[in-house]
Amino acid sequence: MSRRASDAVPTRKSRRELAAMSAAGRIVAGLLDLLEGKAVPGVSTGELDEIAEQFIRERRGEPSFKGLYGYPATICCAPNDVVVHSIPSGQSVLREGDILGVDVGVEVDGLHADGTRTFAIGEIGHRARRLLDATREALAKGIEQAVEGATVEDISRAVETHVVAAGYSVVRDLTGHGIGRRVHEAPSVPNFVDHKVFRHDYGVRLQRGMTLAIEPMVAEGAPRVVQDPDGWTYRTADGKLSAHFEHTVAVTRGAARVLTVSGERSGDGRGRPRRT
Amino acid sequence: MADRRRKQRRSEPREQPEGAQREKAIRAQGVVVEKLPSAMFRVQVQREDGTAHEVLAHVSGKIRMRWIRIMAGDRVTLELSPYDLTRGRIVWLHK
Repeated sequence: MSRRASDAVPTRKSRRELAAMSAAGRIVAGLLDLLEGKAVPGVSTGELDEIAEQFIRERRGEPSFKGLYGYPATICCAPNDVVVHSIPSGQSVLREGDILGVDVGVEVDGLHADGTRTFAIGEIGHRARRLLDATREALAKGIEQAVEGATVEDISRAVETHVVAAGYSVVRDLTGHGIGRRVHEAPSVPNFVDHKVFRHDYGVRLQRGMTLAIEPMVAEGAPRVVQDPDGWTYRTADGKLSAHFEHTVAVTRGAARVLTVSGERSGDGRGRPRRT
Repeated sequence: MADRRRKQRRSEPREQPEGAQREKAIRAQGVVVEKLPSAMFRVQVQREDGTAHEVLAHVSGKIRMRWIRIMAGDRVTLELSPYDLTRGRIVWLHK
C-alpha cells in the first residue's frame, strides 16, 4: 500500500461534514441492526452482502468499500477465526455456533462512516460469548478516551489494557484510523501501544471535530495473523476465534459522539442512548 | 475496513546487474610531485609505453590507518580508474 495515512495531518470536520457523517453512521447502525436479525444459520454471507447494498442505496447512501483498493463487495465478513476482510460469497453459509464479524462503510455526501459488529449465529458457546463481550467493552473503553486534549496513545492503551486483562490478545497488523472524506485518513489508531511500530501516530492530540474509526480486533489466542491467498482475508495463525467491533466517533468538547448509532441522539457506544 | 499497518521499510541491499563484471583498476607507479591540502597529491605517472601524465590522487584508507606520511618525491603505486585516468588512489609507498 503506498498511501501513507499517517503522513497527513488529521482534519477537523465542519458541522456540515459531521452531519453527513452522522447520517452515514445512522445508516451503518441501522444496517447492522437489520443484519443482526438476518445472520442466522443457513444464510450465506453473499445474501447478507446483497441485503446490505440494497439497504444502503435505498437510503441514498453509497457503499464505501466497493472499489476501495479493489475490494469487490459492500460488507467485509469475518467468521470465527477470520479477523477481518473476508469477501462475502454465496458459498459460505453460516452455521449454528459461528461468530461473524460484519464490517460496513457507508458514504453520504462524500463523507464516510465505518462500523463493525461481531454477531452470534444461533447459540454460541460461552468462550465465544465472553470474547465478544470483552471486545465490545474494549471498544467502549477506547471511545471513553477519545476526548479533546487526549492523544491517540490514550485510546490505544485503554483498548490494549482491557483486552489483555480479559486474557486475550490484540491483533497488531491492523489498526483503526481517521475517517472522513476518505475511508482511511490520518492518524492510525492502533489497538496497542508500541512506540517501535507507530512512532508518529501515538502523539497525535485529539481536537474537536476530528473523526476516528476505533476498531479493536481481538484474538482469543496468539495475536499473529496470516493472510489468505485471496489477498484480503486475515485469519489467526493459531486458528482460534477473533472478534471485531468498530464505531466511528467524533471528538467533541465533552465525551466523544458516536456516529454509528441509530436514532437522532448519539449514544456512548454501549447501546444505551444518551439522555439530552 | 481496518487500516493495514505499513511495515517498516528495511532497505534491501542493491544487487549487481546480472553478469556485470567489476571493472579492474589500473595499477601504475609514479612520483609524487606536489602535496595538496586534504591529503591529496599530484603524482607524475609513467606508463609502460613511456607516456607520463599527472594524476590527482588521494591516500587510501589503509595507508591513512597506519599513519604513513607521504611527501613530494616519494615513489608510490597508484590505482587508477579505467573511467578516468587522471584520478587515482595511492596504495603503496615505496621505500
